[in-house]
Amino acid sequence: MVNGDEIEVMNKLLSSDVKLFILELFHDNPGLLDRLEGVALRIGRRASEIEKDAKDLLDIGILQRKKIGNSEVICLNVKRDGEIQGLISNRILKRGGD
Amino acid sequence: MERDAILVAGPPGTGKTILGLQYLVNGASEFGENGIFVTFEQMPDQIYRDAAAFGWDLRKLERENKFKLVCTSPDLLLAGDGEHLLDETFRQLKPRRVVIDSLSHLAMYVEEKNLRKETYRLLNYFKTKGLTSLSIWESSQIAGQEFSVTEVGVSFLVDCVVLLRMVEIESTMRKALVVLKMRGSDHDRALREFKINSHGIKLSKPFSGYQGIVTGIPRRISR
Repeated sequence: MVNGDEIEVMNKLLSSDVKLFILELFHDNPGLLDRLEGVALRIGRRASEIEKDAKDLLDIGILQRKKIGNSEVICLNVKRDGEIQGLISNRILKRGGD
Repeated sequence: MERDAILVAGPPGTGKTILGLQYLVNGASEFGENGIFVTFEQMPDQIYRDAAAFGWDLRKLERENKFKLVCTSPDLLLAGDGEHLLDETFRQLKPRRVVIDSLSHLAMYVEEKNLRKETYRLLNYFKTKGLTSLSIWESSQIAGQEFSVTEVGVSFLVDCVVLLRMVEIESTMRKALVVLKMRGSDHDRALREFKINSHGIKLSKPFSGYQGIVTGIPRRISR
């Protein structure tokens, strides 16, 4: 069984394709450190189009905020990302997957 | 030289990014000098892939904490108050070399009247951190009789200027490299041909038998 927190994390992760694009972007480019506008630009979107999904990923902790000068930038939280990958992998293994 | 600011200028396709990567890979693997590559437009996954074609495993160098590829927006690199964009990387990596690809992108974010001052500030920031910087400048001209290094006077701020040019010789585009400036050094002023092979940039002999190479349209010298 998974607990409620894990289900909430899964629901947030799987709720849109934009999240997938954002995650792919950061996994392929782990050194990416940019404002929301810059992140959106790199997946061919506008900031307003990814704002909600980015917020979910920040809430889960896969992405983290940093203050650079007067700007807020987003980057991958490698440790938390690893934890969530482990969580997904365990969930699949518990259900008898490969 | 250590802590110098180097400018590499050239039009598209001359190998500026390859030169920058080669500088960092050599530093990390042969001289024990860790390096940071800062890219604004080209995505890191593409850079990892292109570097692999030359046998440079950038991801491995990152795992070994010898190299870091940072992708960001140009103005964030200039943000002056509080934590600098690269401060955390400086602490982790203790780098000696940094490549900016490219400095000309900053021009899109800074008013022309402030560009020289902001560039000067950035280059001095690297110097205070003990870094030798190699900044790339994209020239629009591929070949032609008129050229300037950066159009906005950035070449006056740096210690060394390396110009890459496309040269048309006998209906073939060849690549030329010349060191235009190197403070404190009686440097080689020869215009040399270079080629990009499977190991990176390979410098050849100086062009001989031609004049006007820098214009991109050389003439054969009659003997």
